[in-house]
Amino acid sequence: MNSGRIVGMALLGAVLGTAVIGAAQAADPPLKVGLLEDVSGDLAFMGMPKLHGSQLAVEEINKSGGILGRQIELIHLDPQGDNARYQEFGRRLLNRDKVDVLIGGITSASREALRPIVDRTTTPYFYTNQYEGGVCDASMVSMGAVPEQQFSTLIPWMVQKFGKKVYVIAADYNFGQISAEWNRKIMKDLGGEVVGEEFIPLGVSQFAQTIQNIQKAKPDWLLTINVGAAQDSFFEQAAAANLNLPMGSSIKVMLGFEHKRFKPPALNNMHATANWFEEIDTPEANDFKKRWHAKFPDELYINDMGYNAYNALYMYKALVEKAKSTKLEDMRKVIATGDACIDAPEGKVCIDPKSQHTSHRMRLISVGPKHEVTVEKDYGTIQPYWLGEIGCDLTKKNDKDQYTPSHLPSKS
Amino acid sequence: MSAELFSLFYQFADVFAFLILSAAGLAIVFGMMGVINMAHGEFIMCGAYVTVGLVNLGVPLPIAQILATLTAGIIGMIVEYLIVRRFYKRPLDSLLATWGLSLIVTQSMLLIVGSAVRGIGTPEGSFAIGGYTFSTYRLVLFGCAVAVLAGLYIIFMKTRFGVIARATMQNAAMAKALGARTGRIYSISFGIGTALAGLCGALYAPTMTLIPTMGATFVVESFVTVVIGGANVLLGTAPAAVFLAMIRMALNAGYGQIIGQIGMLFAVILIIRVLPEGLSSVLVRRGR
Amino acid sequence: MFKLLDGPQTLGRGKIFWSCFLAVLAGALIYPLFADSYDVGNFAYFLIWIFMALGLCLMWGYGGMLSFGQTFFFGIAGYGYGVLAINMGGGTATIAALILSVVIAMIAAGILGYFMIWGGISGIFFGIVTLSATLVLAFFLGQTAGPEWHIGPARLNGFNGMKGMDPLTVGSFDIEGSALYYLMIALIVIVYVALRILVNSSVGNVIVATRENPQRAEMLGYDVRKYQLLTFVIGSGLAGLSGALYTSWGQFITPSSIGLPAAAMPIVWVAFSGRNDLTATLVGSFLLLFGFQTITVYSQQAALVLMGVLLLATVMLAPQGFVLGIGRLVVDWWSRRRRRDEAPALADAGRLQSDET
Repeated sequence: MNSGRIVGMALLGAVLGTAVIGAAQAADPPLKVGLLEDVSGDLAFMGMPKLHGSQLAVEEINKSGGILGRQIELIHLDPQGDNARYQEFGRRLLNRDKVDVLIGGITSASREALRPIVDRTTTPYFYTNQYEGGVCDASMVSMGAVPEQQFSTLIPWMVQKFGKKVYVIAADYNFGQISAEWNRKIMKDLGGEVVGEEFIPLGVSQFAQTIQNIQKAKPDWLLTINVGAAQDSFFEQAAAANLNLPMGSSIKVMLGFEHKRFKPPALNNMHATANWFEEIDTPEANDFKKRWHAKFPDELYINDMGYNAYNALYMYKALVEKAKSTKLEDMRKVIATGDACIDAPEGKVCIDPKSQHTSHRMRLISVGPKHEVTVEKDYGTIQPYWLGEIGCDLTKKNDKDQYTPSHLPSKS
Repeated sequence: MSAELFSLFYQFADVFAFLILSAAGLAIVFGMMGVINMAHGEFIMCGAYVTVGLVNLGVPLPIAQILATLTAGIIGMIVEYLIVRRFYKRPLDSLLATWGLSLIVTQSMLLIVGSAVRGIGTPEGSFAIGGYTFSTYRLVLFGCAVAVLAGLYIIFMKTRFGVIARATMQNAAMAKALGARTGRIYSISFGIGTALAGLCGALYAPTMTLIPTMGATFVVESFVTVVIGGANVLLGTAPAAVFLAMIRMALNAGYGQIIGQIGMLFAVILIIRVLPEGLSSVLVRRGR
Repeated sequence: MFKLLDGPQTLGRGKIFWSCFLAVLAGALIYPLFADSYDVGNFAYFLIWIFMALGLCLMWGYGGMLSFGQTFFFGIAGYGYGVLAINMGGGTATIAALILSVVIAMIAAGILGYFMIWGGISGIFFGIVTLSATLVLAFFLGQTAGPEWHIGPARLNGFNGMKGMDPLTVGSFDIEGSALYYLMIALIVIVYVALRILVNSSVGNVIVATRENPQRAEMLGYDVRKYQLLTFVIGSGLAGLSGALYTSWGQFITPSSIGLPAAAMPIVWVAFSGRNDLTATLVGSFLLLFGFQTITVYSQQAALVLMGVLLLATVMLAPQGFVLGIGRLVVDWWSRRRRRDEAPALADAGRLQSDET
């Protein structure tokens, strides 16, 4: 890891060096990309691939001539998982370094910390995680998958395959609670039953009681939307207690690569829907993986966050080149045409004009007893339709709010 | 019915083991020696990482756990010699020093080992009673917790070292005048404390996700247990753990983990309010 | 009253000290004229946290009460400001929201303080009780994500944090950038001077006497509990001021500003700076905040290691705190030079020595 990191830094230095030379030749100042990713603290294992993805994309784009002939200068700061630091550094990048675009943030809290600051500028902001959905904000482009793409595919499949009774283990904060709300809504439509819901405080690592509660409720399958390294201990403890239930999730495998971190068979019988996971076997994906591992040979797993962070830069490139401008309003005109698309390693992805979220090609994957990953079903491209349906239309009105199934826009 | 009863006992044993194992090391370092060791969690992390590292090299788990415990103890003695030794007379400053140390250790681990380490899996399998299945290893943990308590009692109450150690903690100058080598006593006591922290990490390593900041999950519980145990650590920590485990277990089962956590902290506030000297003050008075 | 500015409880006195003070103040006042607007705003942001540090310095350094609860009151006032500012509408009402939220934090401190101090809780028990209360608040706020958790139109919004409140505003003028900076400077000067007067007054002497030996102070006829409660309420109120200002600055507050490790930060600042003196805390906390941010910006992943080394080195090499350690070096050097000139040593040198206990 360490040597990989040094190599990475050296490469970055080289990139920045060539960026400067390139800029001098083109006589155009480089485009400044501000990046905020946690590479220290609790979230480092997720932030690291995100930084790598951004570095790889910047290197490739600069090699192939930059954006509108301008090279990219990547300015990365490490907020160490601290929301106050996100605000400090967000202001620093926007006001002092005057970046052309801001990318990053891991937790939803860090995104919410950044949004009020971004909203007072005219700088675009790219959030590159899959999340609980619902942010309707003209300054923000969301690159990750959202619940209508993940849950409306996963839950019906799980119900059909394993049964109508589900037990939910969710992290006790916005992501977990809103995801659980989605599950309730979809289960109701399917005529299923939520036999138990348990919300776990962040940082809890002991699950003996939870395992007992599950056995008492006798569900057909589990929805595991527990978050963070401490809560991931659930899988090991459940396997040790021989719980042995099918599991579904929107964040396991492709995001936390639990199947690589835990000893088999802890993750056996886990199912997830994802726009990206490293086991995707298509020519584009394989080529992408090869380039990534060539640059970062020590990477344990290319997770969806790192992949989305990589895509974000290409999406930004596409938007700027189509708009022939780095201004947010010009880029939003391109988005409004519905023609803001790139050919990503997963397939073609486009930005939805109403919500400024990204369409994704979703696949349902399952983990076997030896932690081998197989694709069970390919859903094709799924639009991020929910925000548009409930009345968020950024082409007409900038709400700057976050909606959930129980917090809908007021009808005015 | 018996399944329900056993389940209750199992849950209690689980929380109890967690509290005792995470607090035992701190009971000596903080409770007896008065050093506020903010790096306690990092010694736990050290025990866990050494265990997993050795198992991945092919060492059998129990031996790896013993070696990890020893490693944590030895590192503890080195830390005591280099840093902690200077702070016996100003315990509050030990807070800052050990906090600085914990920052250095966690971040260095992240840089050297990387952020994610492959788990090793829990040994011992499971058994079923009634409609429930249980992990055998959790009972092993409970057994270890009881053994740790017994071991501490024997070391500090029945051996010559224990007598001298307790004398040193009570009045170092007097003990020194009577010929005790207090420097060495402090060093060994600190080493035992960190070894116990390492043992905690070693025992929980197979059941948890290993990240450099994992120690933080143990720290609040262990400080709270030691503090409400009160001045007499050997008498206080065990009843404190029993008491907190009962509250936590009841609330966890009835109202979920968040209420369990909040309720335990409320109980701590109330206990300290009612017994400002900690639980052991009552027990010692009763004992007389 | 201003005679009390100098006294036995505070370092620095006489013409030299106060001319330095005025020089620094003047420098701070003209700083925005030639500095980048970002840096001015950033400095104003550092100053926001100083109140919390000064409050802890008063409680811990002077009163002997190690409170882990600074972020508890920070959070109460921070969320209080948000709820009030949203409910009362923006504009000049935000000033009322600021004052009210600090009052709420002080009332909360009065209740918790009465509960603890009249219960005879002291020493490390004081720290654990305040820490427990802090964690309870953080856990509680963390699970308020649902729409049912709201006060008027203000949603608490769980771990993602509360937002949508206006920043401090007078009429239609937002207090931001250099305006905020000047407001912070003014508040810092007022609080600093007021605390100096307080600790050098007869009340302050009782507070220090209580720290040194509560029984003795009680024997002398003082109800030490009242003095401790007063110290606790003032110190916690200052934490509340920081909290309300922080929410106003970022228009955002989350439970992670309350729980660990945030709760440990004020203690680190004050211990690093030298908890026995207000001036040291003021200067040291600012330097530490500035230093930590600078290290984080420029050293990437090594930042936390460097911070740890900095703290460790400070306690090992300068046991009285960074600022007092440096101050002591300067004073020693100064007095040695004076002695060579056969002149009487600086009064401060004597005080520093007597303060070692």
